[in-house]
Amino acid sequence: MRDSHPTLKRRDWLKLSAAGLLSGVTVPWFESLAAAAIKRPRGKSCILLWMDGGPSQQHTFDPKTHGEFAPKPTSVPGIHIVEHLPQLAQSMDDLAIVRSMTTEINGHYDAKYFLHTGHKRTTAFEHPAIGCIASSQVGLPDDDMPAFVTIDAGFDRPDGGRLYRSVPAYLGPEHAPLAVNDPADGLENLTPTGDDIDARLKLLAGSERRFAQKFTLPAVGAKQAAFHRAVRLMRSKRSRAFRLDEEPASLRAEYGSHKFGQSCLLARRLVEAGVSFVEIVHRGWDDHGGAAKPIAYRAPWMDAGMAALIRDLKIRGMLDDTLIVWMGEFGRTPGDGNGHFSKAWSTVWAGGGIQTGQVIGKTTEGPKSPGADIVDRPVTAPDFIGTLCLALGIDIHQEFLTPAKRPVPLVDKAAKPVQELLG
Amino acid sequence: MFALRLTGIVALTLFVVFSGAIPLTARADEPLLERDILPILTKNCMGCHGGLVSSGGLDLRTLPAMLVGGESGTAVTSGQSEKSELWKRIANDEMPEGDGREKLSALDKAAIKKWIDAGLPTVSQRQQNVDSLVAGDEQHKVPEVAAAIDQHIGQFLKAADIQPAPLTDDEEFLRRIYLDLAGRVPTAEQAVAFLDDTAPDRRTKLIDSLLETPEFGEQFGRTWRDWVCPPELPSTGNAGTQPHQQARAFGSWIGKKVVAGEPWDQVTREILTVQGEIGKNPQVIFFALVGKDGTTTADGSARAVASLFMGVQLQCARCHDDPYRDWSQQEHWGLAAFFGRSQGDFSKVEINKGPSKKPGEIGIPGSAFRNVGSVVKASFLRGDRFEAKDSQDLRQPFADWLTAKENPYFARAFVNRVWFSLFSRGIVNPIDDFRELNPPSHPGLLKLLAGEFTASGYDVKHLIRCICNSQAYQRASRVAPDIDDQQRTVLTTAFGRMPMRLMTADRLYDSLKLAFGDPKLDLRTSVAHASVGMAAPVGDALLEFHRRFGTNEEDATDFTHGIAQMLTMINHPRLLRGGQSLEDFRKKSPDASAEQTIEWLYLSTLSRHPTKEELAEAAEYVSQSADPTAAFNGVLWMLVNRSEFLLVR
Repeated sequence: MRDSHPTLKRRDWLKLSAAGLLSGVTVPWFESLAAAAIKRPRGKSCILLWMDGGPSQQHTFDPKTHGEFAPKPTSVPGIHIVEHLPQLAQSMDDLAIVRSMTTEINGHYDAKYFLHTGHKRTTAFEHPAIGCIASSQVGLPDDDMPAFVTIDAGFDRPDGGRLYRSVPAYLGPEHAPLAVNDPADGLENLTPTGDDIDARLKLLAGSERRFAQKFTLPAVGAKQAAFHRAVRLMRSKRSRAFRLDEEPASLRAEYGSHKFGQSCLLARRLVEAGVSFVEIVHRGWDDHGGAAKPIAYRAPWMDAGMAALIRDLKIRGMLDDTLIVWMGEFGRTPGDGNGHFSKAWSTVWAGGGIQTGQVIGKTTEGPKSPGADIVDRPVTAPDFIGTLCLALGIDIHQEFLTPAKRPVPLVDKAAKPVQELLG
Repeated sequence: MFALRLTGIVALTLFVVFSGAIPLTARADEPLLERDILPILTKNCMGCHGGLVSSGGLDLRTLPAMLVGGESGTAVTSGQSEKSELWKRIANDEMPEGDGREKLSALDKAAIKKWIDAGLPTVSQRQQNVDSLVAGDEQHKVPEVAAAIDQHIGQFLKAADIQPAPLTDDEEFLRRIYLDLAGRVPTAEQAVAFLDDTAPDRRTKLIDSLLETPEFGEQFGRTWRDWVCPPELPSTGNAGTQPHQQARAFGSWIGKKVVAGEPWDQVTREILTVQGEIGKNPQVIFFALVGKDGTTTADGSARAVASLFMGVQLQCARCHDDPYRDWSQQEHWGLAAFFGRSQGDFSKVEINKGPSKKPGEIGIPGSAFRNVGSVVKASFLRGDRFEAKDSQDLRQPFADWLTAKENPYFARAFVNRVWFSLFSRGIVNPIDDFRELNPPSHPGLLKLLAGEFTASGYDVKHLIRCICNSQAYQRASRVAPDIDDQQRTVLTTAFGRMPMRLMTADRLYDSLKLAFGDPKLDLRTSVAHASVGMAAPVGDALLEFHRRFGTNEEDATDFTHGIAQMLTMINHPRLLRGGQSLEDFRKKSPDASAEQTIEWLYLSTLSRHPTKEELAEAAEYVSQSADPTAAFNGVLWMLVNRSEFLLVR
């Protein structure tokens, strides 16, 4: 069992800041790491493509013979997805589809919580989101770059329930995500607007040092450590990873001009620079009124962005170390995709060393309401989170202590990870 | 003046007492539970034997709980370590369990053995007078109560042989009291007015005047709003609308009542018996905030009322008898039955509707694990069953019972919350977990405050006035450099020093607004997103500030900010640009020297004069700049980025 708030670390920081390292002017900028590829001693990184609102499985990765979207063959014989995703169909060798997600909860917010944490929401305390878990478990400790970044890829309908916000809960605030609100803008407040920042930081440094000497308290050490990390990120050449305009126009075009594609490209840059977990959220997949029309409209940019991401990572030799997961909080009712449906839906996996070119699980075929049930290999939310953790190299049998000293398992003990994916 | 002299005399007496105390580090006497043993147990054992999880049925948080013990019987036998399970298992390193776990050090083991053999001494036992000191049914003068508070704490410290921290200087006190009572730092002018005041009762006068300001009401109200609901509010169904405006209005409503002098029992009654539309009754939102998905629930109401107004946790008892808290599932649903004949949402509460088929009876719903479907009759906690009459609003008799003078829960729950809000720690912790096996750290103090609060007719301002005038509240947060984590924790939990706290989002926001002279301070960068439908990721400026700068409600000493918050403080264009109030000051005082302007900036952010060194550094920085306006704004930027600004001493 691990206490998630080691005080020792803070005290180390205190010493560090007392030694004058927080000034920002006197610190070497750790640039030696920037040029070389980032080594990941602790595990893999992950890009989560979150289709907020619940995408219809039958209009994407689990089409049915007489469904609204016809099944089309892919590069893997015997596996069909909808015809609207031609680039992904060509990349099927690099994809694994899990068609047997079954997750109980049909309400947006509770389902988002369940699929992000692997635990059902309770009033007693909060569970950490998967991105925060990755930050704490595989994030590069004491790095210039943050371990967890979320990217808002916009929306195309104002629905889909309350937005879920990843919280680190008992893992500690250092594992909270940094949010990018628009991929084109990069990280907000990363760059000072004035030219006076060095002089200002210098002016601050002296008084901070004196304060830390006078008040030898954890809160002071923690403040100065957080400040120091912010200044380090600001100064680091690697923070240029937040700037999309450094990418060649041709590659930006390949990812597609839509915010989603650009978010995928930004995610690749971030992972390359050492970020462990990137969550891209595209809102508006709550297709009440039928999924066919809106998904026909969304499919081209989704197809382009996701397929380009996989190809690009592969070319750079990063695909095996970068897990990609495409999903929402649930699927949609079989047929027209009008309603929420948590009983039998799909997630898509790529990279990260998982076994691709396969389909796991199976939903019922016709003639009567095809897809209404699972016929093979149900995967629950805890199974899902457990699999994701294992794929990243995270020990799923750990327990943590909440602030109230309640031990909680990181992953629900009932979780049965999908070994077929992990190989 | 008499009042003040009295405080002075008490202070003198206490001083004499404390000056004889041995310093914290060198101590040869017997170990004491609170001072020497609990810190060891907290660090090494509480993870598995500390309440919510009590492995083997054992809870080590309090002496009564240790004596009750677990499955292997009592954990400690007074005077006989060799017969005590706790000692046996620690001695042979069986505990802490697990190969990877660090075992207890020889020093810690020796302390525990010595403590058991010495007969389980506690600080509380050593205290000679744990009764309330000022007893009786009538209200007392503020200095009398303040002195009694200090006597309780002083006795505890003396019994534990702990040297308290010195009193704050005026600058520390000024900033602390403004942040606690007005929810923001003082303006430079307010700071100067107090710091230049030489009257011996200047602190008392400041407390009195702040308690009459609307800002005190706002601060008090939002503290309660945060207790009622989590920062991310519930929302209606899937539509996702969170009633932030309404929750704020509810907080303001509470605050206005309290500033106007409305007694707490009356405020409570108006909340608990509300009906009608939210337009006229902002408190309507209460029941839906503590319900589920934007609608009221009887059990949600019961749990919130128990936690907020009675100081007891019922959440586990919803589904089963709570093995750690003595509450039965019957008691939980018995309380819920009082709320089973009213129903509402974010906009209204109606009576004679709701889950109760018959008034005063409620069925345990399918979402509870045990006894689903069984019908429970309304009954007061630990009290008599209540016979309901038809079409009666059962919340009325419940409010009568709750706010009655002899109710054992109401006053103590409130004073403990108020104490927590001022000291970042309750007399009972967690603040809503009063029960026999979780006794108060200072029982006499709790009795004193609850008694005084009741006798004053539930006068909120009187209670706060008494506490803020005490020396306990006015102690410094600084500790000697050689003091270790454990000693500091003990000193803080004994109320021998004030912990250093992180400003809450509300206080930081209001203080920044003031420092920058910008009442609409907006630190969002993506305002364009604000108008995007129901799933809008960006709320108004205040909500987004809250989301970004929210703090740990349970532990104000926890510095929760990270890179995102620090980057906002360092680089947000609004903060880099500088302040309107600085501009106003320079217009009003065109002859002010650089030093005077810097001094004014220090006063309006850190509520104190700069030291000579600080003044020289800032003047040097200003003199190097060609643009004095930009340079002064640079000083302002430096001041709000200091640890001293974000933290409350």
